[in-house]
Amino acid sequence: MSAAKPEVLVIDDEIQLRRLLRFTLADAGYEVREADSGHAGLVAVAHHQPEMIVLDLGLPDLPGLDVLRRLREWTTIPVLILSVFGREEGKVAALDAGADDYLTKPFGGAELLARLRALQRRTKQVEPANIVSFGSIEVDLVRRIVKKAGHPVKLTAREYALFRLLVTHRGRVLTHRHILREIWGPALETQTHYLRVFMMRLRQKIEDDADSPKYLQTESGIGYRLMGEGS
Amino acid sequence: MAVTIGGWLARFHYDVLGHLYLLTVIVLSLRVSRWPALISALVSALAWNYFFVPPRMSFVKPDLDEALLVSSYFVVALVAGQLTSHIREQQRSERQREQRATALFNLTRALAGTHTLAEGITAALRQTDMLFEARSALMLVTEEGCLAPHHGGSLELDAAALSLADEVRREQCAGGRFTEIFPDAVSLHLPLVREGQVLGVLAVCLPQRVIRINSQQRDLLEAFAAQVALLIERERLRSADERARLLAESDRLHRTLLDSVSHEMRTPLAVLRAAADNLKNDGARHRAGLPAEIVEATNRLNRLVANLLGQTRLEAGVVRPNLDWCDARDLISAARRSLGDALSGRPFKLDIPADMPLLRADAVLMEQVITNLLLNAVHYSPAGSPISILAGWNEAKAQVYLTIADEGRGIPAELRPQLFQKFCRGHRPTGNGLGLGLSIARGFMQAQGGDIAVTDHPGPGAWLTLHLPFAKHAVVPHE
Repeated sequence: MSAAKPEVLVIDDEIQLRRLLRFTLADAGYEVREADSGHAGLVAVAHHQPEMIVLDLGLPDLPGLDVLRRLREWTTIPVLILSVFGREEGKVAALDAGADDYLTKPFGGAELLARLRALQRRTKQVEPANIVSFGSIEVDLVRRIVKKAGHPVKLTAREYALFRLLVTHRGRVLTHRHILREIWGPALETQTHYLRVFMMRLRQKIEDDADSPKYLQTESGIGYRLMGEGS
Repeated sequence: MAVTIGGWLARFHYDVLGHLYLLTVIVLSLRVSRWPALISALVSALAWNYFFVPPRMSFVKPDLDEALLVSSYFVVALVAGQLTSHIREQQRSERQREQRATALFNLTRALAGTHTLAEGITAALRQTDMLFEARSALMLVTEEGCLAPHHGGSLELDAAALSLADEVRREQCAGGRFTEIFPDAVSLHLPLVREGQVLGVLAVCLPQRVIRINSQQRDLLEAFAAQVALLIERERLRSADERARLLAESDRLHRTLLDSVSHEMRTPLAVLRAAADNLKNDGARHRAGLPAEIVEATNRLNRLVANLLGQTRLEAGVVRPNLDWCDARDLISAARRSLGDALSGRPFKLDIPADMPLLRADAVLMEQVITNLLLNAVHYSPAGSPISILAGWNEAKAQVYLTIADEGRGIPAELRPQLFQKFCRGHRPTGNGLGLGLSIARGFMQAQGGDIAVTDHPGPGAWLTLHLPFAKHAVVPHE
C-alpha cells in the first residue's frame, strides 16, 4: 500500500449506512469522505478528486443516474453504485452510463471491499500484467495461452477474446451489451444468445464443473463477472 | 251476390235458395268478423225476400206464412253467423295467448341458460328481434346513475333515441313510436321497472310496414320488458353479493398477511437484537457464532421483502418480464448462490442435458422463482436429504422445463387445489413462512408465458415443474 491512503467518496443519504461504510472502509485502510446528497457529492468530487466513488442510486435530491452522467461528462473516476433488489433495469442503465460496478443492498463488507479492490486494480494498472492467474487457471496475455492446472486449454479466437475481456476486468461486472459490443461489434449488441452459447462453451473448457461455475459467474439480468482474485 | 245471380238464372225453388243464403252467411262468418257477419245476415235476408220469395222483385208480403219464413230465416242467419264468428274470435285469441306464452317461455328459457348479465341481455334482445321482427337495443342505468347503451343490441341508438330514453326513464312510462310521447320517433321505448325503480330502457324498432300495434302486441312487449327488468335486478343482486363476499375475503387476506408478515419479521429481528446485545457483552462466550446468525437473519428478512415486493407487483399488475435468452444453468446457479448457507448440508444434483436449449425468460424473475422452490424443498424435506433439479424439453408440447425435486413427504392431497394460492402453507418443522413462494412462482411464470405445476412421479418427495414455451434462436456461428 502506498503512503497516501486511497480516498473513497461515499454519496448516500442514509446516515446509518454512511456510518457503517465508514467503519468498514476505514478499517480496510481507506480515507473516507461523505456526501449526503447528489449535489453535495458532485461538489465533493470536483474539490477532492477521490480515487473511487460509492454512489447510491436512490438519492432524494438528484437521481443517482443523473449524478453519474454528470460525473462522466468530465471524469473517469471509478464509480461503484449501490442499488436495491428488483431494479435490474436501473443497474444496467447505470452500468451502461459509465458506472464500473454495482452492489445490491443488503451487501456484506467483504463483498464491498472485493469490488473496490477490483476497481482499484483498474486505475492502478499502468502496466498490465503479462500473466494473470486465479485458482487453477493461468492466462498469458502476451502469448495468448490459457492453462488449466498446468495443461494448455484450446480456445477458439473468439472464445479467447471473450475470456480475455473477462480476465482483464476480473472481479468486475460486464453487462451483456458491453461484452457483445466488444466481442461481436455494435451490430450484434442485443443478440444475447451469442453470449450464452459462447459462455457455455467457455465454461466447459475452463470450469471444473460447467453446471455450477466457480469463475465465470452470471449476474441475473445484468451480465457476467469473472470471480477469482489474484495478481 | 253469387247466390242471387245463380238463383236468378237457375230458377231454383226459393226454399233451396234460402238454405244456400244461410250456408253463405255461415261460411262468411268463418272468414270475417262479427259486424260484417251481421250485415251479411241482414242483406241476405232482404235479398232473398226481394229477389226470390214470390212475388219476385218485391218486399210486399201479405202472406203470414211467407213473412214468418223470411223473419225466421233472418234470425237463424243472425244467430248462426254470430255464433260462428264468436267461435272464430275465441280461436284467434287462444292462438295469440299461446303465441305469447310460447314467446315468454322461450325468453325465460333463454335467460335461464345465461350466466352473466351481458349474456342474458344479448339473449333477451335476440328473442325480441325474432318475435317482433324488430331491431332492439338496451340502455342500462349505471352505478353513477346515468343511462348508458349496453353493447350487443341490433339497433343503433342516436342522440335522439338517447334523450327519448332519458325522458322515458323520468316518466316511467313507454314513449316513442305508437305512444303519446314523441310518436315521431323511429323506435318504441319501454322502461324496465322493478319496485318503482327504473333499471334501464328497452328500445324496439318495429319494421316500417307495421303502422300500429294492438294491445296484445303491446302487452307482450311489456311482458318482455318486465322479464328483462327481472333479469337485470337478479344479476345486480348477485354481483352485489359477490362484491360483499370479495370484500370480506380481501379483508381476511389482509389480516392474514399482516399477522404472518409481523410474525415472519419479528423472528429475524429478534435474532439481530439478541446478537447485537451479545456482541456488546465482552464476556459472552459464544461470540464466534454470532456473525453467521446475523447474516442468516438478514438473508431471511431480505427474502421476505423480495417476496412481499413480488406479490405486490403481481397484484398491481406491474410485472413486465424482460424476456431474453437465458441459460438454465445460469438461472440455477444464480438462485443457489443467492440462497447461500440455506442450502448447506444438502447434496445437490443437477440433471441437465448437454444440448439443453436456451430459455426465453426474465432472468431476475426466474432466479426468484427457483430460489423460492429450492427454499421450499429445504423447508419441507428432512435435513441432509438431497435436492435435485432436472431440466429438459418436451418436443411434443413445445416446452422447456425445470423440475425441482426434494425427498420429503410430498404435497398432501388436500393442499393441492389451493397450492398456488397466496398464504397457502404446508406443515413444516422449521418456521411458518408467508405462504407466498408458490403463488409468486405461478404469477411470475405466467407473466413469462409459462406456468408451474406439481408433477406426479414414483417415489417420495415433492416435484414442482416450471415450464416455458420452447423458443428457437438463430444458429450461433462457431466463430
